[in-house]
Amino acid sequence: MTKVRQLPYGEPAEKGLNVRLVMEEASRCLLCEDAPCSHDCPAGTDPGRFIRSIRFRNFTGACKTIRHNNILGASCAEICPQERLCEKACSRCGIDKPIQIGKLQAFAMEQERLLGLKILEAAPSCGKKVACIGAGPSGLAVAAELAKLGVSVTVYDENEKAGGMLRYGITPSRLSDEIIDQDIKAVESLGVKFELSRRIDKNELDKLVAQYDAVYVGVGLSASKMIPNLKGTDLKGVETALAFLKRARIAGGKIEDLGRVVIIGGGDVAMDCASTAKQCGAKSVYVAFIETLETMPASKRELDYIVDLGVPVIPAFKPVQLNGEDHVTSVELAAMEGNSKITLDADTVIFAVGQKVQDDYKGMTSDGKIFVGGDLANGGKTVVEAVASGKDIAGEIAKFLHI
Amino acid sequence: MSKKIDLSIDFLGVHCENPFFLSSSPVCHNYEMIAKCFDIGWGGVFYKTVGILGMNECSPRFDIVRKEGTPFVGFKNMEQISEHTWQENAEIIKKLKHDYPTKVMGVSIMGANDEEWALLAREMTKAGADMLELNFSCPQMTSHAMGSDVGMNPELVERYTRVVKQNTHLPVIAKMTPNITHIEDPSKGALRGGADAVSTINTIKSICNIDIENLTGKPVVNGKSSISGYSGAAVKPIALRFIAQLKQDPELANLPVSGIGGIETWQDAVEFLLLGAENLQVTTSVMQYGYRIVEDMKDGLANFMEAHGYTSLRDFIGKALPNVIPCENLDRSFQIIPKIDLDKCVGCGRCAISCFDGGHQAIDFDTKTRKPTITDKCVGCHLCLNVCPVFDCITPGEIKFKKGCEPHDVKRQHCYYA
Repeated sequence: MTKVRQLPYGEPAEKGLNVRLVMEEASRCLLCEDAPCSHDCPAGTDPGRFIRSIRFRNFTGACKTIRHNNILGASCAEICPQERLCEKACSRCGIDKPIQIGKLQAFAMEQERLLGLKILEAAPSCGKKVACIGAGPSGLAVAAELAKLGVSVTVYDENEKAGGMLRYGITPSRLSDEIIDQDIKAVESLGVKFELSRRIDKNELDKLVAQYDAVYVGVGLSASKMIPNLKGTDLKGVETALAFLKRARIAGGKIEDLGRVVIIGGGDVAMDCASTAKQCGAKSVYVAFIETLETMPASKRELDYIVDLGVPVIPAFKPVQLNGEDHVTSVELAAMEGNSKITLDADTVIFAVGQKVQDDYKGMTSDGKIFVGGDLANGGKTVVEAVASGKDIAGEIAKFLHI
Repeated sequence: MSKKIDLSIDFLGVHCENPFFLSSSPVCHNYEMIAKCFDIGWGGVFYKTVGILGMNECSPRFDIVRKEGTPFVGFKNMEQISEHTWQENAEIIKKLKHDYPTKVMGVSIMGANDEEWALLAREMTKAGADMLELNFSCPQMTSHAMGSDVGMNPELVERYTRVVKQNTHLPVIAKMTPNITHIEDPSKGALRGGADAVSTINTIKSICNIDIENLTGKPVVNGKSSISGYSGAAVKPIALRFIAQLKQDPELANLPVSGIGGIETWQDAVEFLLLGAENLQVTTSVMQYGYRIVEDMKDGLANFMEAHGYTSLRDFIGKALPNVIPCENLDRSFQIIPKIDLDKCVGCGRCAISCFDGGHQAIDFDTKTRKPTITDKCVGCHLCLNVCPVFDCITPGEIKFKKGCEPHDVKRQHCYYA
């Protein structure tokens, strides 16, 4: 038996549950009083309630609970780190293992897709106008919550498609276009308008502030960090994680000549780069990071995923320099402890060492008609926390607008 | 398999190597099937009901009741009696009896009038049957002169039983329907007609599911469906009740019973035996799992007997009957208060929900610590203990005697979670 999993680019990394397995899983649920899982969802998706609906075969009801509480319910089902949120709180942990809440949520959202359910609809206008800058998770959440109150919302984004990090910062094997589009459609069903391929710089922001009753800035952390003072980062073949993931998504995984790939970074984005490089046919892929396996920021699920795909990981090593004349040819790594050194031949080096705010929005805080939230405000957390932030900000904006 | 334990029993004077028989149904309608079940170790069969002509069956013809992930909680079938003519069946029976002389060939028969009952009785006797079972209970016959419509009528049961008895020297078993309030009445008819035993229950008239889009029952036969027989684990409680009622009726107490209804494990088998059944018939679990289930039924039964020091089935047949008493005679002088093992409790709160909504509001649930406490309001109903999802967390505890009631020994339920 092969020890390495073959998974074409964009093919789902995890299989969903069919209706029979879903009923088995839902019947494992203890249907707790005041369910702890519901308390531990940052966005208030209320799994205790939607699992109960599934258990009593009210699948449409489950969709309604999810959609009303979490506008990105379909995406969150796929990529939320449930193991440290709702599933960690699950009472069933005291018996054997938690309910697979993400899988049940994914099933409910699949029903929404298959049955073409239209759960949300535009509210009567309250006469107010709000602009959201950034069509990422927090912006979408702000837009949806305000639209439910009758606010006319326009979302601006520099990319061709809405979704932000969902679309361009995560590999499609973990989150497909179909599922992102499903969530976007739910936002649109509330009457939210999108202005895409439209970058809003400082100058334009001022115009929007004049034009709208309030402006939400949810541009996230869309610029990539680099390791400062590292020799060779200007060589050809060196790129950032977000640039790489984005071009892979746009090309549908058809990127040739990656050659031998070295990824620097130990977070989920680095793991996504590793699987993507592997799926795009890289000759070899290594991931190296300064943290240990224990302290690396990536979730165990993501680490397991790339290990399954046959990607070797090198923990507790830092890059000391990149070699090459015009194009990168190798990466030199040194152990964090001791004197071990490794030189890895490389044709492509991808840096996934964190993201930062684009210069235009650096240091921006909420002020007057401007509201700031999401990763931009919290320093970069999960999608579900961005949704939570978006819901909170929408409340603040509503208060500001006296709705 | 325990070698020491003898599972054999003489039922109606016929020696059976074990009490496990296939009931007259889709599981035993030809030579190959019955040869295989004999090879695997069944004690005998009640050959699928022989009529004058073969049946014309519908498709599909089965449906199940599913509870969450569990299929076959209950099973519905729309099949009638044998699809072969009586002549074809006589040949098969003859060959089986020749090839398996030590196995017991019960043959189920069904006629529509005196002449047919008489002919079938004579011919199946001639073919080599060891006993005849009279099918007065199939609920899905296309003729109302047959099946459970007959079984509900004590006079017809008596009459046809008598006709059969006049045409055979074999033991005769009347198979009774549960689709009736008092199963004792037609059973007494059978006894008057000369039956040597009754078997019960046949299937219960049912509609398992409605196809809510096609607006009909399931299975859907070209857009339509019919009421038909329900069987499997879900009907066991009803079967046990009917058998207890038969065995506790003074007129019927000595009439042997072959027990049928949801038998799947050796424990089910022991339960039927304890209520007085001397022979056991199985279909639904065989349809789901195959003939091989008899291996664990036999072995489990032998292990049970060994553990209890029984050497013969007769040592414990009917032993539970004296303890099934009318509600008015139960000891109502005490309450067994459950106790909760808080170390095992996972804090789901289900006990508190059920106690409030379905009991006596006697469990306080601390929303901070997520732990339940049983209060003075507890009446000892044990709903909490039945809904608790954690093994051995809520168990029967202190026995509280009601005001004015003298404390005395109270026998508790054995092995609560078995």
